[in-house]
Amino acid sequence: MAIVSVCRGTKSGGQAFAECLADRLGYPVVGREILQAAAFDLGVSEADLTQQFERAPRRWDRQAAARRVYVVGVQAALAEHVATGNLVYHGLAGQVLLRGLPAVLRTRLVAPFAERVRTLAEHDDITQEAAERYIREVDATRTRWVKMMYGEHIDDPALYDVVINLATMSIEAACAITVATLEQPEFTVTDEARGALEDFRLACRVKRALVTAPDTRGLPLEAVAHAGVVEVSGTAPLLSTGETGDRIAEISGAVLGVKQVRLKLQWFDPYP
Amino acid sequence: MAIITISRGTMSGGRAVAQCLADRLGYPCLGREVLQTAARMLGASEETVLHKLQTPPGLWDHVTRERQAYVVAAQAALAAHCTTGSLVYHGLAGQLLLRDVPGVLRVRLIAPVAIRVQAILAQHSRTNHVAAERFIQSVDRQRRRWVRRMYGVEINDTSLYELTINLESITLATACVMIAELARQPHYEVTADTRQRIQAFAADCDRRVTEVIGPRAGQHPASGEGA
Repeated sequence: MAIVSVCRGTKSGGQAFAECLADRLGYPVVGREILQAAAFDLGVSEADLTQQFERAPRRWDRQAAARRVYVVGVQAALAEHVATGNLVYHGLAGQVLLRGLPAVLRTRLVAPFAERVRTLAEHDDITQEAAERYIREVDATRTRWVKMMYGEHIDDPALYDVVINLATMSIEAACAITVATLEQPEFTVTDEARGALEDFRLACRVKRALVTAPDTRGLPLEAVAHAGVVEVSGTAPLLSTGETGDRIAEISGAVLGVKQVRLKLQWFDPYP
Repeated sequence: MAIITISRGTMSGGRAVAQCLADRLGYPCLGREVLQTAARMLGASEETVLHKLQTPPGLWDHVTRERQAYVVAAQAALAAHCTTGSLVYHGLAGQLLLRDVPGVLRVRLIAPVAIRVQAILAQHSRTNHVAAERFIQSVDRQRRRWVRRMYGVEINDTSLYELTINLESITLATACVMIAELARQPHYEVTADTRQRIQAFAADCDRRVTEVIGPRAGQHPASGEGA
Protein backbone atom coordinates (compact mmCIF):
# COMPACT_ATOMS: atom_id res chain seq x y z
CA MET A 1 0.00 0.00 0.00
CA ALA A 2 1.34 3.40 -0.92
CA ILE A 3 0.52 6.74 -2.48
CA VAL A 4 1.72 7.73 -5.93
CA SER A 5 1.64 11.27 -7.23
CA VAL A 6 2.06 11.74 -10.96
CA CYS A 7 3.27 15.12 -12.21
CA ARG A 8 3.46 15.65 -15.94
CA GLY A 9 3.08 18.19 -18.70
CA THR A 10 -0.16 18.27 -20.64
CA LYS A 11 -0.45 15.34 -23.12
CA SER A 12 2.56 13.55 -21.66
CA GLY A 13 0.72 10.29 -21.01
CA GLY A 14 0.04 11.02 -17.33
CA GLN A 15 -3.57 9.88 -17.31
CA ALA A 16 -2.81 6.57 -19.09
CA PHE A 17 0.07 5.97 -16.67
CA ALA A 18 -2.12 6.70 -13.64
CA GLU A 19 -4.87 4.39 -14.93
CA CYS A 20 -2.37 1.62 -15.65
CA LEU A 21 -1.05 1.92 -12.09
CA ALA A 22 -4.54 1.94 -10.61
CA ASP A 23 -5.39 -1.24 -12.59
CA ARG A 24 -2.23 -3.05 -11.54
CA LEU A 25 -2.42 -2.00 -7.88
CA GLY A 26 -6.19 -1.85 -7.39
CA TYR A 27 -5.88 1.70 -5.98
CA PRO A 28 -8.36 4.49 -6.56
CA VAL A 29 -7.17 7.10 -9.04
CA VAL A 30 -8.03 10.74 -8.47
CA GLY A 31 -7.26 13.88 -10.43
CA ARG A 32 -9.93 16.50 -11.03
CA GLU A 33 -12.05 15.01 -8.25
CA ILE A 34 -9.75 16.68 -5.74
CA LEU A 35 -10.43 20.10 -7.25
CA GLN A 36 -14.17 19.38 -7.22
CA ALA A 37 -14.06 18.33 -3.56
CA ALA A 38 -11.97 21.37 -2.63
CA ALA A 39 -14.33 23.70 -4.52
CA PHE A 40 -17.29 22.18 -2.66
CA ASP A 41 -15.57 22.55 0.74
CA LEU A 42 -14.59 26.15 0.06
CA GLY A 43 -17.96 27.06 -1.45
CA VAL A 44 -16.47 28.30 -4.75
CA SER A 45 -16.88 27.15 -8.33
CA GLU A 46 -14.51 24.56 -9.75
CA ALA A 47 -13.66 26.98 -12.58
CA ASP A 48 -12.50 29.64 -10.11
CA LEU A 49 -10.39 27.15 -8.25
CA THR A 50 -8.84 25.71 -11.40
CA GLN A 51 -8.00 29.20 -12.57
CA GLN A 52 -6.07 29.89 -9.37
CA PHE A 53 -4.01 26.74 -10.00
CA GLU A 54 -3.62 27.16 -13.73
CA ARG A 55 -2.81 30.87 -13.85
CA ALA A 56 0.58 31.86 -12.60
CA PRO A 57 0.65 34.66 -10.04
CA ARG A 58 2.24 37.95 -11.03
CA ARG A 59 5.19 39.30 -9.12
CA TRP A 60 2.94 41.72 -7.26
CA ASP A 61 0.04 39.39 -6.74
CA ARG A 62 -3.02 41.16 -5.37
CA GLN A 63 -4.77 37.84 -4.95
CA ALA A 64 -2.02 36.14 -2.93
CA ALA A 65 -4.25 35.67 0.11
CA ALA A 66 -7.15 34.32 -1.96
CA ARG A 67 -4.80 31.99 -3.80
CA ARG A 68 -3.51 30.65 -0.50
CA VAL A 69 -7.08 29.75 0.50
CA TYR A 70 -7.44 27.69 -2.66
CA VAL A 71 -4.08 25.94 -2.24
CA VAL A 72 -4.87 25.05 1.37
CA GLY A 73 -8.32 23.85 0.28
CA VAL A 74 -6.89 21.56 -2.39
CA GLN A 75 -4.22 20.22 -0.04
CA ALA A 76 -6.90 19.46 2.56
CA ALA A 77 -9.09 17.66 0.01
CA LEU A 78 -6.07 15.63 -1.12
CA ALA A 79 -5.13 14.86 2.50
CA GLU A 80 -8.56 13.26 3.07
CA HIS A 81 -7.81 10.75 0.28
CA VAL A 82 -4.16 10.28 1.20
CA ALA A 83 -4.98 9.28 4.78
CA THR A 84 -6.54 6.03 3.51
CA GLY A 85 -3.07 4.93 2.38
CA ASN A 86 -3.85 3.78 -1.18
CA LEU A 87 -4.02 6.35 -3.93
CA VAL A 88 -2.83 7.35 -7.38
CA TYR A 89 -3.04 11.14 -7.74
CA HIS A 90 -2.48 12.66 -11.15
CA GLY A 91 -3.72 16.16 -10.48
CA LEU A 92 -1.91 19.43 -10.05
CA ALA A 93 1.09 20.06 -7.80
CA GLY A 94 1.15 16.66 -6.04
CA GLN A 95 4.93 16.86 -5.73
CA VAL A 96 4.73 19.95 -3.52
CA LEU A 97 1.38 19.37 -1.81
CA LEU A 98 2.55 15.94 -0.58
CA ARG A 99 6.15 16.88 0.16
CA GLY A 100 7.78 15.23 3.17
CA LEU A 101 5.14 12.52 3.69
CA PRO A 102 6.10 8.87 4.23
CA ALA A 103 5.07 6.11 1.78
CA VAL A 104 4.55 8.63 -1.03
CA LEU A 105 6.25 8.07 -4.37
CA ARG A 106 6.43 11.36 -6.27
CA THR A 107 6.88 10.65 -9.96
CA ARG A 108 7.33 12.99 -12.89
CA LEU A 109 6.74 11.94 -16.47
CA VAL A 110 8.54 13.70 -19.30
CA ALA A 111 7.79 13.13 -22.96
CA PRO A 112 9.32 14.60 -26.15
CA PHE A 113 7.75 17.91 -27.09
CA ALA A 114 7.06 16.82 -30.69
CA GLU A 115 5.20 13.74 -29.45
CA ARG A 116 3.02 15.84 -27.12
CA VAL A 117 2.21 18.26 -29.94
CA ARG A 118 1.24 15.40 -32.23
CA THR A 119 -1.00 13.82 -29.56
CA LEU A 120 -2.79 17.10 -28.84
CA ALA A 121 -3.22 17.99 -32.52
CA GLU A 122 -4.77 14.56 -33.21
CA HIS A 123 -6.89 14.51 -30.07
CA ASP A 124 -8.32 18.02 -30.41
CA ASP A 125 -8.22 18.10 -34.22
CA ILE A 126 -6.21 21.33 -34.32
CA THR A 127 -3.17 22.41 -36.33
CA GLN A 128 0.39 21.60 -35.28
CA GLU A 129 1.10 25.29 -34.70
CA ALA A 130 -1.93 25.74 -32.45
CA ALA A 131 -1.05 22.61 -30.48
CA GLU A 132 2.56 23.75 -30.11
CA ARG A 133 1.48 27.20 -28.92
CA TYR A 134 -0.98 25.74 -26.41
CA ILE A 135 1.53 23.31 -24.89
CA ARG A 136 4.22 25.98 -24.60
CA GLU A 137 1.74 28.30 -22.89
CA VAL A 138 0.52 25.68 -20.40
CA ASP A 139 4.10 24.55 -19.62
CA ALA A 140 5.25 28.14 -19.05
CA THR A 141 2.27 28.89 -16.80
CA ARG A 142 2.77 25.80 -14.65
CA THR A 143 6.48 26.52 -14.36
CA ARG A 144 5.74 30.08 -13.21
CA TRP A 145 3.08 28.85 -10.78
CA VAL A 146 5.42 26.43 -8.99
CA LYS A 147 8.20 29.04 -9.01
CA MET A 148 6.02 31.77 -7.49
CA MET A 149 4.17 29.58 -4.99
CA TYR A 150 7.01 27.38 -3.80
CA GLY A 151 10.19 28.94 -5.16
CA GLU A 152 11.08 25.72 -7.00
CA HIS A 153 11.57 24.90 -10.66
CA ILE A 154 9.05 22.33 -11.86
CA ASP A 155 11.74 20.53 -13.90
CA ASP A 156 14.13 20.20 -10.96
CA PRO A 157 14.52 16.43 -10.50
CA ALA A 158 15.16 16.94 -6.77
CA LEU A 159 11.42 17.68 -6.35
CA TYR A 160 10.57 14.09 -7.30
CA ASP A 161 11.58 10.62 -6.20
CA VAL A 162 11.77 9.42 -9.78
CA VAL A 163 11.58 11.06 -13.19
CA ILE A 164 10.52 8.78 -16.04
CA ASN A 165 11.29 9.71 -19.64
CA LEU A 166 8.71 8.34 -22.06
CA ALA A 167 10.86 9.06 -25.13
CA THR A 168 11.91 5.43 -25.36
CA MET A 169 9.86 3.87 -22.58
CA SER A 170 6.32 2.56 -23.02
CA ILE A 171 3.56 3.38 -20.53
CA GLU A 172 3.47 -0.32 -19.59
CA ALA A 173 7.21 -0.35 -18.84
CA ALA A 174 6.89 2.84 -16.77
CA CYS A 175 3.98 1.24 -14.93
CA ALA A 176 5.95 -2.00 -14.32
CA ILE A 177 8.93 -0.25 -12.72
CA THR A 178 6.67 1.91 -10.56
CA VAL A 179 4.79 -1.16 -9.30
CA ALA A 180 8.14 -2.88 -8.55
CA THR A 181 9.23 0.22 -6.62
CA LEU A 182 6.04 0.32 -4.55
CA GLU A 183 6.62 -3.27 -3.46
CA GLN A 184 9.79 -2.18 -1.65
CA PRO A 185 9.74 -1.75 2.16
CA GLU A 186 10.05 2.07 2.23
CA PHE A 187 6.68 2.40 0.51
CA THR A 188 4.80 0.18 2.92
CA VAL A 189 2.21 2.08 4.91
CA THR A 190 3.29 0.98 8.38
CA ASP A 191 1.44 2.02 11.54
CA GLU A 192 3.96 4.84 11.94
CA ALA A 193 3.41 6.03 8.34
CA ARG A 194 -0.35 5.82 8.78
CA GLY A 195 -0.05 7.96 11.90
CA ALA A 196 1.96 10.55 9.94
CA LEU A 197 -0.66 10.58 7.16
CA GLU A 198 -3.45 11.08 9.71
CA ASP A 199 -1.46 13.89 11.35
CA PHE A 200 -1.08 15.48 7.91
CA ARG A 201 -4.83 15.24 7.34
CA LEU A 202 -5.58 16.83 10.71
CA ALA A 203 -3.08 19.66 10.15
CA CYS A 204 -4.62 20.32 6.71
CA ARG A 205 -8.13 20.40 8.20
CA VAL A 206 -7.01 22.97 10.76
CA LYS A 207 -5.30 25.11 8.10
CA ARG A 208 -8.44 24.99 5.98
CA ALA A 209 -10.58 26.03 8.95
CA LEU A 210 -8.23 28.95 9.65
CA VAL A 211 -8.03 30.25 6.08
CA THR A 212 -11.79 30.10 5.61
CA ALA A 213 -12.85 31.66 8.95
CA PRO A 214 -13.51 35.43 8.53
CA ASP A 215 -11.47 36.37 11.64
CA THR A 216 -8.30 34.50 10.63
CA ARG A 217 -8.63 34.41 6.85
CA GLY A 218 -5.73 36.71 5.95
CA LEU A 219 -3.25 35.50 8.57
CA PRO A 220 -0.16 33.54 7.50
CA LEU A 221 -0.70 30.59 9.84
CA GLU A 222 0.73 27.09 9.66
CA ALA A 223 -0.37 24.00 11.53
CA VAL A 224 1.44 20.82 12.51
CA ALA A 225 -0.37 17.91 14.15
CA HIS A 226 0.77 14.95 16.18
CA ALA A 227 -1.66 12.42 17.62
CA GLY A 228 -4.48 14.94 17.91
CA VAL A 229 -2.33 17.75 19.33
CA VAL A 230 -2.14 20.66 16.90
CA GLU A 231 0.49 23.38 17.03
CA VAL A 232 -0.45 26.57 15.20
CA SER A 233 2.38 28.93 14.31
CA GLY A 234 2.73 32.15 12.33
CA THR A 235 2.21 35.85 12.90
CA ALA A 236 -0.96 37.48 14.20
CA PRO A 237 -1.95 41.07 15.04
CA LEU A 238 -1.86 42.09 18.68
CA LEU A 239 -5.26 43.71 19.18
CA SER A 240 -6.31 45.62 22.30
CA THR A 241 -9.24 43.23 22.71
CA GLY A 242 -6.76 40.33 22.86
CA GLU A 243 -9.20 38.17 20.96
CA THR A 244 -7.07 36.95 18.05
CA GLY A 245 -5.30 34.18 19.94
CA ASP A 246 -8.57 33.00 21.48
CA ARG A 247 -10.25 32.90 18.07
CA ILE A 248 -7.37 30.91 16.52
CA ALA A 249 -7.51 28.42 19.38
CA GLU A 250 -11.31 28.26 19.18
CA ILE A 251 -11.39 27.67 15.40
CA SER A 252 -8.61 25.08 15.56
CA GLY A 253 -10.14 23.32 18.54
CA ALA A 254 -13.49 22.95 16.76
CA VAL A 255 -11.95 20.85 13.97
CA LEU A 256 -12.92 17.17 14.03
CA GLY A 257 -10.10 15.09 15.56
CA VAL A 258 -8.31 17.91 17.44
CA LYS A 259 -7.71 17.07 21.11
CA GLN A 260 -5.49 19.96 22.09
CA VAL A 261 -4.29 23.23 20.52
CA ARG A 262 -0.93 24.85 21.21
CA LEU A 263 -0.25 28.33 19.91
CA LYS A 264 3.23 29.37 18.87
CA LEU A 265 2.47 32.80 17.51
CA GLN A 266 4.55 35.87 16.91
CA TRP A 267 2.57 39.01 17.57
CA PHE A 268 2.82 42.22 15.60
CA ASP A 269 1.35 45.66 16.14
CA PRO A 270 -1.14 46.33 13.31
CA TYR A 271 -1.13 50.09 14.05
CA PRO A 272 2.52 50.97 14.69
CA MET B 1 20.76 -8.56 -21.98
CA ALA B 2 21.00 -4.78 -21.87
CA ILE B 3 23.51 -1.97 -21.73
CA ILE B 4 23.06 0.33 -18.77
CA THR B 5 24.88 3.59 -18.10
CA ILE B 6 24.71 5.20 -14.68
CA SER B 7 25.46 8.88 -14.44
CA ARG B 8 25.79 10.49 -11.02
CA GLY B 9 27.58 13.15 -9.06
CA THR B 10 30.67 12.20 -7.10
CA MET B 11 29.86 10.28 -3.89
CA SER B 12 26.20 9.88 -4.80
CA GLY B 13 26.14 6.11 -4.35
CA GLY B 14 26.37 5.32 -8.06
CA ARG B 15 29.04 2.67 -7.70
CA ALA B 16 27.02 0.75 -5.09
CA VAL B 17 23.90 0.83 -7.30
CA ALA B 18 25.95 -0.28 -10.32
CA GLN B 19 27.49 -3.17 -8.39
CA CYS B 20 24.10 -4.25 -7.02
CA LEU B 21 22.67 -4.14 -10.52
CA ALA B 22 25.56 -6.10 -12.03
CA ASP B 23 25.22 -8.78 -9.33
CA ARG B 24 21.46 -8.98 -9.81
CA LEU B 25 21.60 -9.21 -13.61
CA GLY B 26 24.91 -11.08 -13.92
CA TYR B 27 26.44 -8.33 -16.08
CA PRO B 28 30.00 -7.01 -15.99
CA CYS B 29 30.35 -3.74 -14.08
CA LEU B 30 32.80 -1.14 -15.34
CA GLY B 31 33.84 2.31 -14.21
CA ARG B 32 37.38 3.62 -14.38
CA GLU B 33 38.54 0.46 -16.25
CA VAL B 34 37.27 2.16 -19.40
CA LEU B 35 39.50 5.16 -18.72
CA GLN B 36 42.45 2.83 -18.17
CA THR B 37 41.85 1.21 -21.58
CA ALA B 38 41.54 4.67 -23.20
CA ALA B 39 44.78 5.74 -21.49
CA ARG B 40 46.57 2.69 -22.89
CA MET B 41 45.27 3.48 -26.39
CA LEU B 42 46.60 7.02 -26.14
CA GLY B 43 49.79 6.18 -24.31
CA ALA B 44 48.65 8.64 -21.64
CA SER B 45 48.18 8.32 -17.91
CA GLU B 46 44.77 7.50 -16.45
CA GLU B 47 44.85 10.79 -14.53
CA THR B 48 45.27 12.71 -17.79
CA VAL B 49 42.30 10.97 -19.39
CA LEU B 50 40.22 11.57 -16.25
CA HIS B 51 41.23 15.23 -16.27
CA LYS B 52 40.31 15.61 -19.95
CA LEU B 53 36.91 13.98 -19.42
CA GLN B 54 36.07 16.03 -16.39
CA THR B 55 37.47 19.54 -16.65
CA PRO B 56 35.84 21.87 -19.19
CA PRO B 57 37.84 22.53 -22.36
CA GLY B 58 39.55 25.87 -22.75
CA LEU B 59 40.04 27.92 -25.90
CA TRP B 60 43.26 26.10 -26.80
CA ASP B 61 41.41 22.76 -26.86
CA HIS B 62 39.09 24.08 -29.53
CA VAL B 63 42.07 25.04 -31.67
CA THR B 64 44.04 21.80 -31.28
CA ARG B 65 41.03 19.48 -30.97
CA GLU B 66 43.23 17.55 -28.57
CA ARG B 67 40.32 17.06 -26.19
CA GLN B 68 38.44 15.27 -28.94
CA ALA B 69 41.14 12.58 -29.03
CA TYR B 70 40.46 11.69 -25.41
CA VAL B 71 36.71 11.56 -25.94
CA VAL B 72 37.05 9.35 -29.01
CA ALA B 73 39.44 7.01 -27.17
CA ALA B 74 37.07 6.73 -24.20
CA GLN B 75 34.19 6.13 -26.61
CA ALA B 76 36.14 3.38 -28.42
CA ALA B 77 37.13 1.72 -25.14
CA LEU B 78 33.52 1.75 -23.92
CA ALA B 79 32.11 0.60 -27.27
CA ALA B 80 34.44 -2.41 -27.24
CA HIS B 81 32.92 -3.53 -23.94
CA CYS B 82 29.39 -3.01 -25.26
CA THR B 83 29.79 -5.55 -28.06
CA THR B 84 29.09 -8.39 -25.59
CA GLY B 85 25.57 -6.95 -25.24
CA SER B 86 25.47 -6.71 -21.46
CA LEU B 87 27.15 -4.05 -19.37
CA VAL B 88 26.67 -1.77 -16.39
CA TYR B 89 28.88 1.32 -16.82
CA HIS B 90 29.10 3.81 -13.97
CA GLY B 91 32.01 5.87 -15.23
CA LEU B 92 32.08 9.34 -16.70
CA ALA B 93 29.73 10.56 -19.44
CA GLY B 94 28.33 7.14 -20.42
CA GLN B 95 25.02 8.68 -21.48
CA LEU B 96 26.87 10.92 -23.96
CA LEU B 97 29.66 8.58 -25.11
CA LEU B 98 27.01 6.01 -26.08
CA ARG B 99 24.37 8.40 -27.35
CA ASP B 100 24.58 6.93 -30.88
CA VAL B 101 24.06 3.39 -29.62
CA PRO B 102 20.44 2.19 -29.86
CA GLY B 103 18.56 0.78 -26.87
CA VAL B 104 20.96 1.95 -24.15
CA LEU B 105 19.28 2.34 -20.78
CA ARG B 106 20.57 5.64 -19.39
CA VAL B 107 20.05 6.29 -15.69
CA ARG B 108 20.87 9.37 -13.64
CA LEU B 109 21.19 9.21 -9.85
CA ILE B 110 20.89 12.39 -7.81
CA ALA B 111 21.47 12.94 -4.10
CA PRO B 112 21.49 16.06 -1.92
CA VAL B 113 24.89 17.59 -1.18
CA ALA B 114 24.44 16.91 2.56
CA ILE B 115 24.25 13.14 2.00
CA ARG B 116 27.25 13.23 -0.34
CA VAL B 117 29.26 15.23 2.19
CA GLN B 118 28.50 12.60 4.83
CA ALA B 119 29.72 9.88 2.44
CA ILE B 120 33.04 11.70 2.00
CA LEU B 121 33.43 12.27 5.74
CA ALA B 122 32.78 8.58 6.39
CA GLN B 123 35.54 7.59 3.95
CA HIS B 124 38.08 10.28 4.68
CA SER B 125 38.43 10.96 8.38
CA ARG B 126 41.03 13.70 7.87
CA THR B 127 38.79 16.00 5.86
CA ASN B 128 36.18 18.36 7.27
CA HIS B 129 32.65 19.32 6.33
CA VAL B 130 33.53 22.57 4.57
CA ALA B 131 36.31 21.00 2.49
CA ALA B 132 34.08 18.07 1.51
CA GLU B 133 31.27 20.39 0.43
CA ARG B 134 33.68 22.58 -1.54
CA PHE B 135 35.12 19.50 -3.25
CA ILE B 136 31.66 18.24 -4.30
CA GLN B 137 30.61 21.63 -5.61
CA SER B 138 33.83 21.99 -7.55
CA VAL B 139 33.53 18.57 -9.22
CA ASP B 140 29.83 19.17 -9.99
CA ARG B 141 30.63 22.53 -11.55
CA GLN B 142 33.42 21.09 -13.69
CA ARG B 143 31.32 18.19 -14.95
CA ARG B 144 28.38 20.48 -15.66
CA ARG B 145 30.59 22.81 -17.70
CA TRP B 146 32.30 19.90 -19.45
CA VAL B 147 28.98 18.45 -20.64
CA ARG B 148 27.72 21.89 -21.66
CA ARG B 149 30.81 22.76 -23.67
CA MET B 150 31.39 19.36 -25.25
CA TYR B 151 27.79 18.42 -26.06
CA GLY B 152 25.76 21.60 -25.58
CA VAL B 153 23.37 20.00 -23.07
CA GLU B 154 22.73 20.27 -19.34
CA ILE B 155 23.88 17.30 -17.26
CA ASN B 156 20.70 17.44 -15.12
CA ASP B 157 18.33 17.57 -18.09
CA THR B 158 15.98 14.67 -17.39
CA SER B 159 15.34 14.12 -21.11
CA LEU B 160 18.92 12.80 -21.44
CA TYR B 161 18.05 9.78 -19.29
CA GLU B 162 15.38 7.11 -19.28
CA LEU B 163 15.21 7.27 -15.52
CA THR B 164 16.31 9.85 -12.93
CA ILE B 165 16.27 8.52 -9.39
CA ASN B 166 16.49 10.68 -6.28
CA LEU B 167 18.55 8.87 -3.65
CA GLU B 168 17.38 11.23 -0.94
CA SER B 169 14.15 9.27 -0.69
CA ILE B 170 14.85 6.06 -2.64
CA THR B 171 17.23 3.51 -1.10
CA LEU B 172 20.10 2.02 -3.11
CA ALA B 173 18.37 -1.38 -3.02
CA THR B 174 15.13 0.05 -4.40
CA ALA B 175 17.00 1.97 -7.12
CA CYS B 176 18.64 -1.32 -8.06
CA VAL B 177 15.27 -3.11 -8.26
CA MET B 178 13.81 -0.31 -10.34
CA ILE B 179 16.61 -0.30 -12.93
CA ALA B 180 16.73 -4.11 -13.09
CA GLU B 181 12.99 -4.17 -13.79
CA LEU B 182 13.40 -1.64 -16.57
CA ALA B 183 16.35 -3.55 -18.07
CA ARG B 184 14.00 -6.52 -18.49
CA GLN B 185 11.63 -4.54 -20.69
CA PRO B 186 11.72 -5.48 -24.39
CA HIS B 187 12.89 -2.05 -25.62
CA TYR B 188 16.24 -2.38 -23.83
CA GLU B 189 16.85 -6.01 -24.83
CA VAL B 190 20.01 -6.29 -26.95
CA THR B 191 18.76 -8.22 -29.97
CA ALA B 192 20.86 -9.64 -32.81
CA ASP B 193 20.08 -6.52 -34.82
CA THR B 194 21.07 -4.20 -31.96
CA ARG B 195 24.28 -6.15 -31.48
CA GLN B 196 25.17 -5.69 -35.13
CA ARG B 197 24.63 -1.96 -34.80
CA ILE B 198 26.75 -1.86 -31.64
CA GLN B 199 29.54 -3.72 -33.46
CA ALA B 200 29.32 -1.24 -36.33
CA PHE B 201 29.49 1.60 -33.81
CA ALA B 202 32.54 0.04 -32.13
CA ALA B 203 34.26 -0.41 -35.52
CA ASP B 204 33.50 3.22 -36.35
CA CYS B 205 34.96 4.33 -33.00
CA ASP B 206 38.14 2.34 -33.72
CA ARG B 207 38.43 3.97 -37.12
CA ARG B 208 38.02 7.43 -35.59
CA VAL B 209 40.63 6.65 -32.94
CA THR B 210 43.11 5.74 -35.69
CA GLU B 211 42.22 8.90 -37.61
CA VAL B 212 42.50 11.19 -34.62
CA ILE B 213 45.48 9.78 -32.75
CA GLY B 214 47.07 7.43 -35.29
CA PRO B 215 50.26 9.32 -35.90
CA ARG B 216 50.75 9.98 -32.21
CA ALA B 217 49.56 6.66 -30.76
CA GLY B 218 51.77 5.46 -27.94
CA GLN B 219 53.03 8.96 -27.21
CA HIS B 220 51.81 11.11 -24.36
CA PRO B 221 49.43 13.61 -25.98
CA ALA B 222 49.33 15.80 -22.90
CA SER B 223 53.06 16.52 -23.20
CA GLY B 224 52.33 18.65 -26.26
CA GLU B 225 50.34 21.20 -24.27
CA GLY B 226 52.56 21.17 -21.25
CA ALA B 227 49.80 19.97 -18.88
